[in-house]
Amino acid sequence: MKIIACYKLIPEEQDITVNGDGTLNLSKTDAKISQFDLNAIEAACALKQQNSDIHIVAMSTGGEALANPKGRKDVLSRGPDELIVVSEPGLENALPHQTAATLAAAAQKSGFDLILCGDGSADLYAQQVGLLLGEALGVSAINGVSRIINLSDTQIQVERTLEDEVETLTLNLPAVVAVSTDINAPQIPSMKAILGAAKKPVQAWQSADLGLGNVSSYTTLLSVLAPQQKARARVIIEGDGEDQIAEFAEHLRKVIG
Amino acid sequence: MSKFSTVWVFSDTASRLPELMGAARQLGENVRVIVQGNEPSAQAFRLGADAAYDLGTIPADRIIEDYADTLVQAIKSQGASALVLLPATRRCKALSARLGARLAAGVVNDANELVLQDGHLVATHMVYGGLAFGKEQITTPYAVTTLNSGVFEAATEDSARTGSATPLEFVAPKNPITCVSRNAKQSNSVDLGKARLVVSVGRGIGNQANISIAEALSNAMGAELGCSRPVAENEKWMERERYVGISGIMIKPELYLALGISGQIQHMVGANGAQIIMAINKDKNAPIFQYADYGLVGDLMKIVPALTEALKR
Repeated sequence: MKIIACYKLIPEEQDITVNGDGTLNLSKTDAKISQFDLNAIEAACALKQQNSDIHIVAMSTGGEALANPKGRKDVLSRGPDELIVVSEPGLENALPHQTAATLAAAAQKSGFDLILCGDGSADLYAQQVGLLLGEALGVSAINGVSRIINLSDTQIQVERTLEDEVETLTLNLPAVVAVSTDINAPQIPSMKAILGAAKKPVQAWQSADLGLGNVSSYTTLLSVLAPQQKARARVIIEGDGEDQIAEFAEHLRKVIG
Repeated sequence: MSKFSTVWVFSDTASRLPELMGAARQLGENVRVIVQGNEPSAQAFRLGADAAYDLGTIPADRIIEDYADTLVQAIKSQGASALVLLPATRRCKALSARLGARLAAGVVNDANELVLQDGHLVATHMVYGGLAFGKEQITTPYAVTTLNSGVFEAATEDSARTGSATPLEFVAPKNPITCVSRNAKQSNSVDLGKARLVVSVGRGIGNQANISIAEALSNAMGAELGCSRPVAENEKWMERERYVGISGIMIKPELYLALGISGQIQHMVGANGAQIIMAINKDKNAPIFQYADYGLVGDLMKIVPALTEALKR
């Protein structure tokens, strides 16, 4: 059985700073695997532990950052057997419909029984790619999966956590499943896994290899701006003597009401 | 065009319908609502629906997402362009993607603002875990969006308005998903999102045992206890459900009292919705004081128990 685990490279959010005009400064950020996608990769590896016949393909589409050998080793050290990337300049700004179209073409070329994705990427968090991928491939797709109960040659049974209820669902394979962060706690790769990752096969494709023309987007991202800072009173009391604490307590009492 | 000629509304959650109707009436000339059953249909008319369509009783082994083709058939039969409004629930996000694919429509989830600009919908939604908002224009004739709660005023009911719903015939999907069982969720007692007052603990508290002094203060105030990312994720002193900030939870309490939290932007995006922010930190240069209405510079171990005593008096 072939499982594709999709991931996206995104800027490390802890290193993002806000410019004076509200735009984001991403120049000091490293590319990293989107957190939710680590859950998808881990879920694929957990299935392989139960069934050694599973072959895991990690798959991503994006810009030139995907050519970085360190990044490729990072994803392969987490357990996948093989890596397929579709990258070329410009694809780093792809919006969900375009990303899904590219991944669908690559998945069709590589073949698959099951595709695992994260529920959304930690940058744009559009929460659509996995579901749109299922649509583009003409197979069942579902989001919010918090547990994989059973995987057979023909079906996958999953638990899906919604706002107020938990569903158990059966999907016929092939299928696309987007997992939530509750599904597992991704492990940190061992030194042995990191060393072994360099030997795993990598295929790098471009849109032209997939016969993909220009996929236009259904939306246009007009701007990305930090919210305006709320004006705060900024009454700062220095010192932890009785008087200062009493003054602070007085403010606190007024707020509590 | 100042309004969409047609807005379709569907809500899987009854409590979200009035607000979706408020948005629909503001954005559209003609509001068509998809409902399940008689009472929701009557309510939709009272809230200002121009037409309602009834999905009928949904069999227990079927999920609402599998009605995407049914919805699409109804939507397409009434015109080649429309806005489709849904609440930002997990179920409706799955449905929105399916509708988007079938209607060749742009989709934006978790919209915090919806406006019509030059005949196109422009939706604002949170990106980079809350550091910023992305403004996205949907350029297709059909537009689909899931709306966050609290964005539009709820439509008021007018009991004089009535109507009858048109039944919709189920269009079976090509790849149906079978629902084996459905159980109400074990409710987690922590719901920081609804708390009026939140006391939050950062790594500055020192160690897990010291959290008890914050707990005593929050009990004295009648507040819920939250924390920063390092406390939950690195130190694991508190549950993940309590962590405020980027990839954690976003809260809007009346008061946010930060204890030993330095105030990185990645934390503050979760707390900035608070009406009042108060902070205690031993470092007077900590960024948290830039975001605070009231700050106190000093030793938590001395200040927090003293505050607790002061509030009991």
